[in-house]
Amino acid sequence: MEKFKLKVFRYDPTKDEKPYYQTYELSVEKGMTVLAALFRAKEEQDPSISFRYNCRAAICGSCAVRINGHATLACKVQVTHMLEKYNTDTLVIEPTGNIKPIKDLVYDMDWVVDKLKRIKPWFIPKEEPPADGKEYRQDPFNHHKIDYTSDCILCNSCMSDCNALKANKDFLGPMVISKAYRFIADSRDGAKKERLEEVLKDFNLEWCVRCMECTTRCPKEVQPYENIIRTRIIAAEEGFKSPGEIHANIFENDIYNRGMLNEMLLPMRQEGILGAAKRAPFGIRMFFKGKVNIADFFGGHKVKRHEEVVKIMDKAREIKDRVKIRLVSDVHTPYEDKRRSKQGG
Amino acid sequence: MSLRYAFYTGCSAKGVAPELYRSTILVAEKLGMELVELEAATCCGAGAVQEKDEFLSLTINARNLALAEELGLDMLTICNTCTLMLREAKFKLDNDSELKAAVNEVLKEAGLEYKGTIEVTHFLWEVIDAVGLEKIKSMVVRPLKDFNIAPFYGCHIIRPPYLIGYEDPDNPTSIERLIEALGGNPVDHDARLACCGFHSFWSAEDKVTLRLTAMDTQAAKTKKADFMVTPCPLCHTQLDAMQPEAEEKIGVNIGMPVLHLPQLIGLAIGLKPKELGLHKHVVSTKEIIEKVA
Repeated sequence: MEKFKLKVFRYDPTKDEKPYYQTYELSVEKGMTVLAALFRAKEEQDPSISFRYNCRAAICGSCAVRINGHATLACKVQVTHMLEKYNTDTLVIEPTGNIKPIKDLVYDMDWVVDKLKRIKPWFIPKEEPPADGKEYRQDPFNHHKIDYTSDCILCNSCMSDCNALKANKDFLGPMVISKAYRFIADSRDGAKKERLEEVLKDFNLEWCVRCMECTTRCPKEVQPYENIIRTRIIAAEEGFKSPGEIHANIFENDIYNRGMLNEMLLPMRQEGILGAAKRAPFGIRMFFKGKVNIADFFGGHKVKRHEEVVKIMDKAREIKDRVKIRLVSDVHTPYEDKRRSKQGG
Repeated sequence: MSLRYAFYTGCSAKGVAPELYRSTILVAEKLGMELVELEAATCCGAGAVQEKDEFLSLTINARNLALAEELGLDMLTICNTCTLMLREAKFKLDNDSELKAAVNEVLKEAGLEYKGTIEVTHFLWEVIDAVGLEKIKSMVVRPLKDFNIAPFYGCHIIRPPYLIGYEDPDNPTSIERLIEALGGNPVDHDARLACCGFHSFWSAEDKVTLRLTAMDTQAAKTKKADFMVTPCPLCHTQLDAMQPEAEEKIGVNIGMPVLHLPQLIGLAIGLKPKELGLHKHVVSTKEIIEKVA
């Protein structure tokens, strides 16, 4: 029978100086999940491997690991698919990224819980309970806005592969902001401002680099990235000022006034004269490399048929409030393979 | 297969990365691709307008797409973020008829209509699929065999898969296959699929952006790459033009040159480094120029 290698991250801080990898050879079995492979290695070869698991059905979120560098639920993917995906005979299993390992694949969840506490991940009602003593009702359109975000199972896959978190552990992270969005976007919630203030402390919300890892990783299609963006939209609507909001206005104005972004005048508009002065070494460097378009300092030129752009943007602003944009997950199941699996039952 | 495209340049190729615009035009011509530039197109919003006003950004990009539809040509982009923003707009409009109707109500003001008849594609994909690696191989006059080349995909050409979907976002191979076709040695490195940090620059320059820029360029350096190559001008600006700031931030000299994808192809098929604009890069490309001379 065909064999494959399961190369597992091993680390016991009570006795190991540093982490190492241990490889187990196993038979490839049709339908075997990566979690089942971990069990097989533990039961038949090495009872000392530690990993978290519970439901084995992609519901509890306990078994997130990194497989060949990318986070996912070990119970949700099959060995044969992974070997094919990476065109390899070896699956490298590591704990999720951006965290402190406790032992082997088991990681410290406290840092996430501490971040979650900051955004108060529970419903804080805006009004007194309904007079009939029943639940706080939500209308269908507003329910859709938050429905899919409540599918989050706190599995940590998105936090694991987040590029902003990789650079700085103080970033709240996609899972936490996504959870905050769940309440910020809920019209029944009374702590919108408070939560927005928290995610915008030090402009934390805008540390997101838009790398799309979170949305790509999420095993439940919660789309954390979309939720970060929607939180930013709500923050702008609520009048919060931030570098991101200034940046968006610059783009919007340039498209309206000339069509293309004026990159040459961007720093001055973004950070003011003093801020732009700080960028002088960069500007001089760019100038001597022939990357500076002098004409743009005097406004530059407009794109052809620019009058269309003005008409379109004016009209879009005029009717914007009556257009209900449904969420992607509401009009289309994002992932092809998932759609197929749903059709096939 | 027809190699005629509606060419969407994006802002960067017309701004801080003129060498990308120039090298794309030169290489496309050599490869037999006809690029009809969309001179009426606007900025895609770059994710900035999208995070302030979703509907407005959708109408702007619906107009951009409609311009390509007028020509009846698929839209070719040379920037990862443009690719994603345009594909995202198309995806949303094609999957929501009410939204499409609302957007068309807006476009009507300018006598335009979005139909959904064209695709949005990237230069990298067309070079591989439409031109073909075999043809590219046959055109190589200066194999890049002396170079260890570190691919840097850039996020928006692989993720999220439901909007991009060209190849597996976890294990893409297109740039490696192209490097091999050009006779070069692709280098595997930790930052191959990582983020350059560009999009959080104004909010988290020190806290996030420059740290990522330093990690990425160092990852390529650790694997002894001669240079990096990227299909995205935003990644290029970040990794090349901001590399001195990243070096200053971590107090380490990195000196990792970064090439645009068309420049890489151009070097191998016999175009001169000067016409490809290699001298316009911030991190010196002198060693590369000397080696190919």
